[in-house]
Amino acid sequence: MLYTIKHWTIVIACVLAGSLLGGCNKVLEVNSPHLVNETNNWKSIQDTRSALLGTYGLMRAALADNNGYWLYGELRNGDFQASGSGDLRAVIAGQLNASYPSLQALSDWRRFYAVVSSASIFIDRAGEVLNNDPQYTLLNYKMDVAQVRALRAFAYFCMARIWGDVPLIVTSHDGNFDRKARTPQQQVLAFAETELLSAVNDLPYRYGLSTDVNKPQLYYGSTNTTWDGVLINKISAYAMLAHIAAWDSRYADAAAYANLIMKNYDKAAAGYVTTASLTSPTGFFYNKSTSQFFMLSFDWTNREATVDGHLESLTLAAPLISKPVPDIYVSADTVLRIFSEPLDERFSIDSAGVAVTPYFTGVTGVKPIFSKIKVIRDGSTDGSLAIYSSGIVFSRLEEITLLYAEAMAVLGNRTEAISAMDAVRQKRGLNRYLNGSGDLITDIFLERRRELMGEGWRWFDQVRYQRIKNNNPAFTAMMKQGGIYWPVAQTALDNNNLLVQTPYWR
Amino acid sequence: MKHYASRFIVWLVLPSIALMAMKAPNRPHMRKYAPKKGPRLFFSSGFQSIVGWDSSRPSKKRTADTVGNGNGDTVFIFPSFRHQQNLIPADTLVLSPLSTKPYMSVQQLLKGDVAGLYIQEPSGEPGTAQPTYIRGISRPVFSNRDLASVQPIVYLNGIPLITDNPYSYNIQQADFTTIGPGTNLFAAYDVDNIDKITVVKGLADAAIYGPRATNGAILITTKNAHAGKRQISINSFYGLVQQDGVATRNAKSEHNFREPFYRQYADAHGYDSYPAYLRDSSNVNYFGPSNWTDIYYKNSYVHGINASLSGGSDRSNFRFFGGSTRNTNADGTQLDRYNGAFFINMLPFKWLTISSMINATRLERKRNHSLRDQFAETRYIPDLSNPLSPNKNVYGKYLSEFDKAIDANKNNLVQGYFALTFDLGKLQYISRVAFDYNEGTRDVFWPSTLMETNNFVSNYFGFNQRFIVDNKIAYTHHFSDTRSLAFEGGQSFQGDVNKYNYAYGYKGPSDFIKINVVEGDSKKANYLLPQGFVVYRFTDKLKQRLLSFYGKLSYDHNHIWNVNALLRSDGASYMQPGSRWFLSPVVTGGWNLQQTFFPHAGSLLSKLDLQASAGRMGNTIPEDGFAAGPQYNVDLGFTNNPAMYSYNGFGTLSRPYSSGWIGYDIPWAYTDNYTLAADAGFFQNRLSIKVEAYTKNTRNQMMRIPTTSESGYNAVYRSGLAVNNTGVDVAMDAVILDGHRNQLGWTAGINFNFNRNRLQALPDGLDEIRIGARKLKVRESIDRYWLLQNEGIYNSNSEVPVNPDTHLPVTYKGIPMKAGDPKWKDVNGDHVIDDKDRVLTGHALPLVSGGFNSQLQYKKFTVDFQFYFALGRTVLNQQAAKRYDFVNQDADNNLGAVREITFWQQEGSPKQYPLYNPWSQVLPYQAEQDLFLEKASFLKLRSLTVGYDLAALPLIRRYNIFNRLLLYATGTNLLTVTPYSGRDPEMIDVSGYDTGYGLPIPRTYTLGIKVDF
Repeated sequence: MLYTIKHWTIVIACVLAGSLLGGCNKVLEVNSPHLVNETNNWKSIQDTRSALLGTYGLMRAALADNNGYWLYGELRNGDFQASGSGDLRAVIAGQLNASYPSLQALSDWRRFYAVVSSASIFIDRAGEVLNNDPQYTLLNYKMDVAQVRALRAFAYFCMARIWGDVPLIVTSHDGNFDRKARTPQQQVLAFAETELLSAVNDLPYRYGLSTDVNKPQLYYGSTNTTWDGVLINKISAYAMLAHIAAWDSRYADAAAYANLIMKNYDKAAAGYVTTASLTSPTGFFYNKSTSQFFMLSFDWTNREATVDGHLESLTLAAPLISKPVPDIYVSADTVLRIFSEPLDERFSIDSAGVAVTPYFTGVTGVKPIFSKIKVIRDGSTDGSLAIYSSGIVFSRLEEITLLYAEAMAVLGNRTEAISAMDAVRQKRGLNRYLNGSGDLITDIFLERRRELMGEGWRWFDQVRYQRIKNNNPAFTAMMKQGGIYWPVAQTALDNNNLLVQTPYWR
Repeated sequence: MKHYASRFIVWLVLPSIALMAMKAPNRPHMRKYAPKKGPRLFFSSGFQSIVGWDSSRPSKKRTADTVGNGNGDTVFIFPSFRHQQNLIPADTLVLSPLSTKPYMSVQQLLKGDVAGLYIQEPSGEPGTAQPTYIRGISRPVFSNRDLASVQPIVYLNGIPLITDNPYSYNIQQADFTTIGPGTNLFAAYDVDNIDKITVVKGLADAAIYGPRATNGAILITTKNAHAGKRQISINSFYGLVQQDGVATRNAKSEHNFREPFYRQYADAHGYDSYPAYLRDSSNVNYFGPSNWTDIYYKNSYVHGINASLSGGSDRSNFRFFGGSTRNTNADGTQLDRYNGAFFINMLPFKWLTISSMINATRLERKRNHSLRDQFAETRYIPDLSNPLSPNKNVYGKYLSEFDKAIDANKNNLVQGYFALTFDLGKLQYISRVAFDYNEGTRDVFWPSTLMETNNFVSNYFGFNQRFIVDNKIAYTHHFSDTRSLAFEGGQSFQGDVNKYNYAYGYKGPSDFIKINVVEGDSKKANYLLPQGFVVYRFTDKLKQRLLSFYGKLSYDHNHIWNVNALLRSDGASYMQPGSRWFLSPVVTGGWNLQQTFFPHAGSLLSKLDLQASAGRMGNTIPEDGFAAGPQYNVDLGFTNNPAMYSYNGFGTLSRPYSSGWIGYDIPWAYTDNYTLAADAGFFQNRLSIKVEAYTKNTRNQMMRIPTTSESGYNAVYRSGLAVNNTGVDVAMDAVILDGHRNQLGWTAGINFNFNRNRLQALPDGLDEIRIGARKLKVRESIDRYWLLQNEGIYNSNSEVPVNPDTHLPVTYKGIPMKAGDPKWKDVNGDHVIDDKDRVLTGHALPLVSGGFNSQLQYKKFTVDFQFYFALGRTVLNQQAAKRYDFVNQDADNNLGAVREITFWQQEGSPKQYPLYNPWSQVLPYQAEQDLFLEKASFLKLRSLTVGYDLAALPLIRRYNIFNRLLLYATGTNLLTVTPYSGRDPEMIDVSGYDTGYGLPIPRTYTLGIKVDF
């Protein structure tokens, strides 16, 4: 009897335990709190907002990483000199293959392709939200898709300027890691241009504010004060188009796109910026506003301020912050050579022989501090905690006006070119342009050099200038070999055997 | 469907075999294994081979004298029943010789005492992490973050202890230490409260513990309640941490060091950037006396006291333990531990035992003043151009600023269980609910005087919690007196939660307001917003669950041979739904050769057991991200700013481009393990030798592998990493003199492990991949360095070889080599020195490690000592590389360029390196070249203790109060022998780099007393 009881005890125990198993898989289903899985995403309007702004954030990371926006665009052969002997000195000297970790990171285009991938996924998937969430309107959807297409085009334009030929990938390739060879730069730029041209139709002038009462007045529940400056609008797209055309030496197109901006910028409430606002810690580079054609913002009020990703982390030093020596500076000689005209609000010598300048601090010192951009925290003058909230600004009206002048000059329309250049000159207190150095194109580029100093243009301007002038054999030779571009990162080459290194860097 | 089937196998097949077995005719009565014990001396060596079930029944009456002798006479040990032991059991450490050492952590207790267990001590700072490896590493370890996947699991009385999850590194720029208190949680257990520690190495013993034990398990069994006369024990020690005198340097030494480089290579720019602190030789702050060591390396004191009380009847008994211990070291570091534990056992019926435990600990730690760790936490690097002054007065002033600081690191740990044991003769059933909860808080305030007039505040609260429900049943059937078949089946559920809240802020209103004050008025718009500080907040949470079922059959045949077969099915929340369950078998067979072939061998061959085991078990994953498959998360960070969470103030989502793509169809990673063991005893077991040869293959592991840059991803996670560890554990113990009748007793033990790891396969059939400065190559070891081979110096430009095709000189990644550059070996002969010319060399982990210990006893005098060694290991001396790479160190302003106060220390016996041009862009002093690779084997005299038991003195014995009154003196870390030119060769980080960080492992002298009433 005892035996039977024991026997059954085991059987019952087994059956009981077995029946519990049904619930086992439920117990093991735990949704991780720090990620969103495939089934839970693309369900609501919050998902599209997160994905859209995530793509912008990736673009910000791509340009902020290792201060790339300036190392790619400003430093090489530019007006800045480096104090130390490290990576910055190598970039300025054009030794882009020097084996510093930062340069190796910068020569990898991975972060730009993250923007491309994120944008492509958005284009593929955002439509699902239209079906799932009635709050997500077709108009909102169209604006979103137009933005990510423009962002993807902008990423390709950035890459083309930095590396020349880059693999053109236009589908989302989600989870698919096919290898692709480099596509000729012309094709990449053509793709970017086409994309922008189709996107521009759906882009508004402003977000969260519409003059059309039939259209929604809010964008993702917020008004224009939230969105001005930080999203790609019609003007941003035209600015990108103008630069693509100019980089491709199609100045007629560049002029046309620039002209569209000059005619329509008021619709986006953009305008010329005063020298005071341009150089104020709480001015143009701090506040998002309609005057930035496209700004990747590091919003102070939302705790997005950082140490890296800002020009200030390279340029500022004591007495503005506690760092004794700036990493890079413009020497007094260079300053005097570039800013040679009187009355220039940016830098000039007054009648008493004293330098008047909001661009520089301590200009008489060995290493003048370039303080045009100095957004410490919330634009504070207390430099003890050197974190910055200035945004990365791609283009403003002055920049496009000068590009228009450049295009007009190349196309031979001297009057139009001068008049455009004067529009900027007058804003900076200069007299009308008379004859300058005698060469209009050189003078337009000089004006760009003064106006846009520290805004990530100098190197690209030099390339365009040389392409127009074509009078520097060494530069031309370098250009032929692809020496104006960055080398392709070794890691990228290692992981894709279809890629070949740019000849100059072999 | 597949996993359902697998569970049915476990649950139906095994019991039915058991039932069939029961139908066998001869139904005997229950029989107990007679414990076969080796010679048990009070001063037995580190190991004791315990055959069979060593402990008695919970209800069994005990005598008081067994307590505290490390003989495992405790209630019962989870999770195994008594009839299913392997013939050759796992190594168990007897702790009595160790309880006289001022060791704070479990790792320190085990170090050098168990063959196959290798413990690193990268810093002598009390309470810091001590990486532990059992039989090698199953995957590469290049950073602290990688450690979690290769650490063994620690059990306290059968409770698998939960530790800090590495997920908090996600918001950190550097993984030097975690954002929390970062205290070694295994420093929470007092040796005087531990009865024994068993180290489970192979699957033969680990199978029952499940996937968490694939890297091995460390089983701590505390002393427990027991019936008998009331017993009181008091233990106490007091000691001195003595700091060695170190040679110091000042700016003059640094200036002299640099002088030849400047003379030979510097151009105007080089002179121009000569650091300010070296320029002015009249500056006494730098050029004056370098006597900072007077305050940094101060002698300090350690102490500990604890007491225990136990007693009760057969039907209910209890034990109480309370204690407090302090460990200290240089730089004012300190760890305080407060313990309390309470055990109750009750036997309301003969067939039911109720047992419970509560064990609570508080750890308080004073951390070091390293600038690097400070800046890593503040995420803000002030100007680094001037290092701290080596002068005592200036440095003292700097340290006095910490008087205004807060740096409070606290951990509270509590473990407990409530268990019911039903004993119905042949049938036994145990049900248990257990928990492990630990929380850490770290509150920091650094005054504005420490960081460019900014003050900094940070607050961390995090907890780890594990909840465990176990049920298991066992049935034993005896065919005859000597043949038995036992079945055991069980279920275990483990639910884990990890969570933290963390906030940091800058620029508080003043150095007197040291906390982040928020607006308290809920009516105000800025309710709960910080008032003053610029605050950043973070929070994260992780949930994991593991559910297991197992069945085990054990057959014993006349004590001549036995077989244990275990089959288990484990389901984990961190696996994807399609592959949630994993079925794994382990079979172990033992054969008593001595009984079979030499039953009458007499005393010469007293024991000869052979055991073989083969098995497979699934591995755990510390992350929870794989279960979801393709996913979206926040990925806005960039170099130096990993924690960016919003764009324009809105939260964002994107694919995990930085961390890596995760796809579907991820299988369980598993370990296949084959072990062959022999355990022999000679001369009545006075000499015993245990040899275990093993090979284990850990397959299908997830690995982050680089992918095309054009995908946008940094990496993809793929399964398929396979690593083999093969080796031998050898342990020998000898009772050289048995010490009977008050004569001299002498025992000695040596143990060592030889282990070699080999990469068997990479995901996607890759042959090699590089990870940072390391490369993994199939068929090579995973702990190798990947270095350029240095062959001297180019003294002139003409010495640089020229490529005959291009007539251009050899380049380093495109930069032409010049005079003053290193002559690196062009392995592939392409006249370009690049990563293709790096070779895999050296081993970060030792090939052989082990210990030697011995105890001598004469009457009531005892002496014991322990040596510890690691051989066949190399170290990359990054500290030396940085000293020579001063040009880039001067220029950089990052965490790698921080000069600590120890910059002014002269390390070891520095090697002379060639005089390269430090300004060269080929980075002549990069650490990753064999110039800086050094042999770093070592042998240490880890401890020496002299003791005397006063209880036997006639004067004291007369009163008959004391069972024991032991006085002892101990010295630790007394002697090191090594060819390494740098510091203590143990103070190496997990990747094998000597970074120069970490406090010296201290030399400690203690006096102690142990009293048993």
